[in-house]
Amino acid sequence: MLKINWFSPLPPAHSGIAYYAAQVLPVLASRHQVVAWTDQDQVSPDLSQVVPVAHYQPANPPWRTLNEADVCIYHLGNHGGIHGGIWQVSRQHAGIVVLHDLCLHDFFAMVFLRTLENPDAYLAALERWYGADGRHAGEAFRTGGIGAEAMAQCYPLTREAVWGALGVIVHSSRALTDLHEEPVCPVAGLDFPYTATAQSRYRGWIAVRNAAPGPPYRLVVFGYLSRNRRLRTLLEALAGLTGREQFRLDICGQLWDESQIRVEIENLGLGALVNLCGFLPESLVEQELSTAHLAINLRYPSMGEASLSQMQFWDYGLPTLVTRTGWYASLPEDATAFVRPEHEVEDIQAHLRAFAADPGAFRAMGERGRQALRNHEPGKYVDALAQFASDALAGSPRIPALHLAGRIGNDLSPWLHPAASGYLLDRASQEIFTMCEEAARDGDAE
Amino acid sequence: MRVLILTSGTPFIRGGAEILAESLRDAVCAAGHQAEIVTLPFQSCPPSRIPEQMLACRLLDVTETCSIRIDRVIGLKFPAYLVRHPHKVIWLLHQHRTAYELWDHPAAGDLIHYPDGPVVRDAIRRADRVCMPEARSIYTLSRNVSNRLRQNCGIAAEPLYNPPANAPLFYNDAAGDYFFFPSRINPMKRQWLVLQALALCREPVQVRFAGEADSETHQAECAKAVRDLRLSDRVEWLGVISEEQKRDGYARSLGVIFPPVDEDYGYVTLEAMLSSKPVITCRDSGGPLEFVAHDQTGLVADAAPQSLAEALDSLWADRGRAARMGECGRERFQSLKISWENVVDKLLC
Repeated sequence: MLKINWFSPLPPAHSGIAYYAAQVLPVLASRHQVVAWTDQDQVSPDLSQVVPVAHYQPANPPWRTLNEADVCIYHLGNHGGIHGGIWQVSRQHAGIVVLHDLCLHDFFAMVFLRTLENPDAYLAALERWYGADGRHAGEAFRTGGIGAEAMAQCYPLTREAVWGALGVIVHSSRALTDLHEEPVCPVAGLDFPYTATAQSRYRGWIAVRNAAPGPPYRLVVFGYLSRNRRLRTLLEALAGLTGREQFRLDICGQLWDESQIRVEIENLGLGALVNLCGFLPESLVEQELSTAHLAINLRYPSMGEASLSQMQFWDYGLPTLVTRTGWYASLPEDATAFVRPEHEVEDIQAHLRAFAADPGAFRAMGERGRQALRNHEPGKYVDALAQFASDALAGSPRIPALHLAGRIGNDLSPWLHPAASGYLLDRASQEIFTMCEEAARDGDAE
Repeated sequence: MRVLILTSGTPFIRGGAEILAESLRDAVCAAGHQAEIVTLPFQSCPPSRIPEQMLACRLLDVTETCSIRIDRVIGLKFPAYLVRHPHKVIWLLHQHRTAYELWDHPAAGDLIHYPDGPVVRDAIRRADRVCMPEARSIYTLSRNVSNRLRQNCGIAAEPLYNPPANAPLFYNDAAGDYFFFPSRINPMKRQWLVLQALALCREPVQVRFAGEADSETHQAECAKAVRDLRLSDRVEWLGVISEEQKRDGYARSLGVIFPPVDEDYGYVTLEAMLSSKPVITCRDSGGPLEFVAHDQTGLVADAAPQSLAEALDSLWADRGRAARMGECGRERFQSLKISWENVVDKLLC
């Protein structure tokens, strides 16, 4: 049993990661000794009943108390307001970092430039991982010369988030591949956890859906609807679709550009087919998803990681259109319909035509998605997470090794001619290896 | 044989480890060898600097110096004992204890208060585990240190006792009306526990404390406790005293009270035995327990004021018993045949 400090957004925070935490923490706390740390003002009383909740101040964390645990698990995503405090602790205190996004430039821009008001740190981070190009791009970003989207794609700053971590957990094969290219610590890819709703209730939803089989067929878009959710493309595809009147589109969630989307709907003549539902309270989510026929879950560019909304769609047995990118590209071929980023309109329209021609095939796809949730059972996830943390703790102490190597490099490189540095640096690196790596191997052997 | 005694310390701070190193050097020289002490400055704060100092020790080459071969290196303290040498022997005074058994100790724990504390702790543990077995043999200061080393790192080591400095000069005199407690004043030595015990004594027990406080804060806390517990007529703070005054303090005491937390070795115990005085210590005091046999050479109390008060009362009320225990302690010391000659023989064999 591990003693675990858990840092993540917690319910009622408006965050998919808070929902994720609510799914994982009860299981984790039943198998390990867990304290959930938060800098939120409020935490759901339901959660407090299953796991002890403790408060911390990001600027002054209670190190002694934190150090009494075996390991800290930090959850980082792209929202500076929600994850900023967590990152401030994680950068000082090595632990397991769970990445919920890979493109973290937005996060660091907000933390460094707004929260900490420290542009030097922002530029230093870019230079650290991308050299002079990164610094110049950061300077251009600050003066409006480069947009946030381009920065996120070219300079995602993922490594800044995992710098000094004992280990990193991601939820996609792409992230795993990226981070394995230059490993700084152990990295593991785990299937995003999700507790499927009981089968009896699921059958009720299917009954509701079957009672109104369509047409019209109800399409649903769901979640926080930022630029990369491809709403305009979807609207364009729908507008250009022959037989579009067979479909109704519900857009549920907070829109980053609602006024522009309204204009777009008006201009495309989709007012009768598209409904802007806004953020749905929990009570209406069930009604919306149990009556929908097809979910549209596009992302491009992908900001990273696994999608909670995809899990929810599958939970309701909903067939789904996803972009063949990032985490989505790794989803089962028979449980999702893929849209190629470079052929979005064409592919969306093709899928909608296919749906209208054979809704049953898509219903079967939704069923297979529901079955795929078996791989995401939180118990499996929690066991893998704990095993990974244990292995990382027992593994090679890379952090002091890297610090020592860095210190020697910084101190000696100005003094020594490269040709003359071999003996000293070889000895130093050998001793670092002896103190860190050999000891770790001995520990493994034990 | 040219022998280098490698230790670490804080410049301008002198304590038991420095005295031990000097005594060892003198003993090695007395045995016909050449010996020098190399003291590496060590600072444990901030903890992030500790791995660098460990690495610095590893990079030192003491195999020879200016073509003069060093035949034997004796490592005493962390991180000095990490130094490489083909004929290294470790005589371990103690490991970096806050990376081990004192990690979460409420008074002594230091690494635990830092964000990088666990990382540094683990680095120390790993380095000890891989570098200590490089030594051709490992001895320790006491059975207590050997036990810790075995528990911490799975490394077996023979305890090698050494006599206190100037052992032949300790003597016995008529027992006065006080217990003697010569030691640095800090929470780990538990002068505060003795004060609490005094407040519970039924007899008018008196204690003379000798030694310097590690911090003014703790000294002030002790002074406050004396006032709060109304002990001012039963407690005397002698401060820093000379070696002669210390021996006199032992000689004219009724007995010695020494209840530290898990002491490595505890010269105080041996000095008391050399002075034919009984020692009152605690069950968790570590090193002293290797010498204090309950009811024979002293008393072993629980680490609680009431238990300690009963022990103090018991010897205060029965001075004949105290004297017999003291004599027994002296005989016990003699029977152990603790000598520098034995230490040098083992370390250089």
